[in-house]
Amino acid sequence: MTYTRTHIFLFLTPLVVIVLLMYGMMAWTVAVSMDNWVGMAPVWQFNGLQNYVTLFGMERFWINLKNNLIWLVVFIPPTAVLGLLLAYGLELSGRAETLFRPLFLYPLALSFVVSGTVWAWMYDPDAGVINNILRSIGLGSLSQPWIADPREATFCLIGAAIWQYTGFAMTLYLAAIRDIPREIIEAARVDGASDAQIFRYVIVPNTGHATMIVIAMLTLFTLKVFDLVWVMTFGGPGNSTEVFSFFMFVATFRQQLVGIGAAISVVILILAIAVVVPYAWWSMRRLQT
Amino acid sequence: MLASKRGVAVIGLLVIASMVITACGPTPAPEVVEKVVKETVVVEVEKEVEKVVEKEVEVVVTATPVPEVVEKQLTIYHWWTAGGERQAMDKIFEWFNKKNPDTEIVDNPVAGGGGITLKTVLLGLLAAKIPPDTFQSLSGAEIKQYVDGNYIEPVDDVWEAQDLDTNYPPVIGKMTLFDGKHYGIPMNAHRANWLFYSKKVFDELDLTPPTTVDEMIAVAETIKEEKPDVAPIAIGTREKWPAVFLFDVVLLSTGGPDVYEKFYTGQLDVKTDPDVRTALEKYEELIPYLYEFHGAKTWSDIVGPMAEGEMAMMVIGDFAAGLLVQAGYVEGTDWDAVGFPQEPEEVFLMIVDTFVQPVGAEHPEATTAWLTNLTDPEMQGEFNVIKGSIAIHKDVPDSTYPDKLHQEASKAFKSKRIVPASIHGVLAPPAFLSDWQDILTRFLYSPDVDRALDEINNSMTLSNAAEASEWYWAK
Repeated sequence: MTYTRTHIFLFLTPLVVIVLLMYGMMAWTVAVSMDNWVGMAPVWQFNGLQNYVTLFGMERFWINLKNNLIWLVVFIPPTAVLGLLLAYGLELSGRAETLFRPLFLYPLALSFVVSGTVWAWMYDPDAGVINNILRSIGLGSLSQPWIADPREATFCLIGAAIWQYTGFAMTLYLAAIRDIPREIIEAARVDGASDAQIFRYVIVPNTGHATMIVIAMLTLFTLKVFDLVWVMTFGGPGNSTEVFSFFMFVATFRQQLVGIGAAISVVILILAIAVVVPYAWWSMRRLQT
Repeated sequence: MLASKRGVAVIGLLVIASMVITACGPTPAPEVVEKVVKETVVVEVEKEVEKVVEKEVEVVVTATPVPEVVEKQLTIYHWWTAGGERQAMDKIFEWFNKKNPDTEIVDNPVAGGGGITLKTVLLGLLAAKIPPDTFQSLSGAEIKQYVDGNYIEPVDDVWEAQDLDTNYPPVIGKMTLFDGKHYGIPMNAHRANWLFYSKKVFDELDLTPPTTVDEMIAVAETIKEEKPDVAPIAIGTREKWPAVFLFDVVLLSTGGPDVYEKFYTGQLDVKTDPDVRTALEKYEELIPYLYEFHGAKTWSDIVGPMAEGEMAMMVIGDFAAGLLVQAGYVEGTDWDAVGFPQEPEEVFLMIVDTFVQPVGAEHPEATTAWLTNLTDPEMQGEFNVIKGSIAIHKDVPDSTYPDKLHQEASKAFKSKRIVPASIHGVLAPPAFLSDWQDILTRFLYSPDVDRALDEINNSMTLSNAAEASEWYWAK
């Protein structure tokens, strides 16, 4: 059977439809962000950049931006590093890997609503397991208000996310480590390299492409994080743990300031592009050289 | 090797590109709504078998559709899914089915207190012009949004047929009246201004329940001195809104109901008006007596400890009584409750559940039957006993309710001034209310009256609170 133009057209149509729909929705969101849409029913009243001006004038916007940046800086490095260490640990553990791999991957299978609820219980300053363990081993002075403290709460959320996403990073790194030709590792071993040296001089340099993917995907996760915030703190105390996606949902559906909600969506889009595109471009170049 | 790396990188970039795209739309539409369509088609099948080749059979099928058998249906969306609520809803269904045996109820419960998730779902359905036959809302500012969107129809026919101007208190009529027409049928009321307290703590210290916020502070001070391990005021602000319940009684105590109504409808210049400043200053005085880790707890987490005597007083709606009874705590022994504040005037701070008729509903007769059923005093009595609220029909006697709290609520509803509560968008515009919860929870952690007044002013300007609340002051 030979493929004809009709076949090509048939195969490509769904893809084209999906892409058009996505970009159409993006364009629609940009259009709404320039409208004075307040309330349930659409209001097509051109408003220029007024929604953006209002948004940038809000203290809340800058709290959100700060929190999103904290997520980027505090969430990604430990998740990636832990993922790499665990992956190498599994690689070394031989048969035990079959036991440990599902254990580390399991959190990823949980819904954020479930893990958020469990972590909120764990962080409970009175009845929570974390403070109770600290008290029972005589470290009661280290017990904290956790999510009840506006200064700590964002870091508590990030802690839960690290727990949930380390398995994801580990899986990508494990695949990358398995991709390294055995001869290199064996040659290093024959030359007398220790496990730590192999990690430093063989594993790390040869898993750069996995790092690129891990960081890019975790970055996008941080820009979209919503469920954990909703379940664990509802953005509070005050607005202290709010992030853009949460703000966007509240503004659009709860407050029905739809134009402002769309403007926040556009900000998320710009951030996603600003973070990922240069990084991906740089990484691809590095890979080619 | 390099090729394999490139392959991984390219796949990664594709995944990234798709994630970038999904990151940017107004993504969180957590509920998928399916519309149930029932259709009965009678098919007549005629078979003509002809032997073409050995072992091959050609079957000709002709289908003759007969007119669709349309079943009477009522598609309903609501948020009563929690324990007690679900059973209460089933009670309405039971009454409806008894009166309308030919109509099938297509039930679409959407979990989420106060209906925030349901509202998200409805937004899509209404915009797509596939409305249900009826849905749940709250009287006041909340249903005004649907009226403004031209999504719901007047229900004056039901209102007049059931003589609700006579059978319901006038304020209920006011909460559903927009441009001279009634847009919803309310059926029950929750009272938001209860002060629950631990009998154990109050009896041990020989305290009487406070009647004003100043008295509350004095009682809290006594408890703090006598029982340092007990949190004088129980509150859980993880879901934020209980902070508004507490502020509301402070404002009612320092400013009275008139100031309360004006504040939440944007009639006060908050930056210069002394009443709001005074209320915030009084609110600040309460902070040292609050349960320390309130930001980590929901209201339902702390009613138990309050009844156990680990905390002393709690301002919350009557729905807390249901939870306490369910958990085995006995009214009058473990806990008790009083209307609060009682000075300068004890009011009934009201939240009203309401059902509406959407524009373009597929089965308007069923909707009318549903709304009519809601006004039945007998049904309201049975429903409210389970729901933990009170009936609003004047023919439902106070003795309907098995417990003291609801009997008193019913009495207060008939004898005290009824003030629509700010919470859940009954009085305050929802856009302001959402910010308001943030402002108050932030204030509880870092009290700064001037900053809070600025924030209130900004939010009221952004949500256009004064204009959005004109309906409340319309004659």
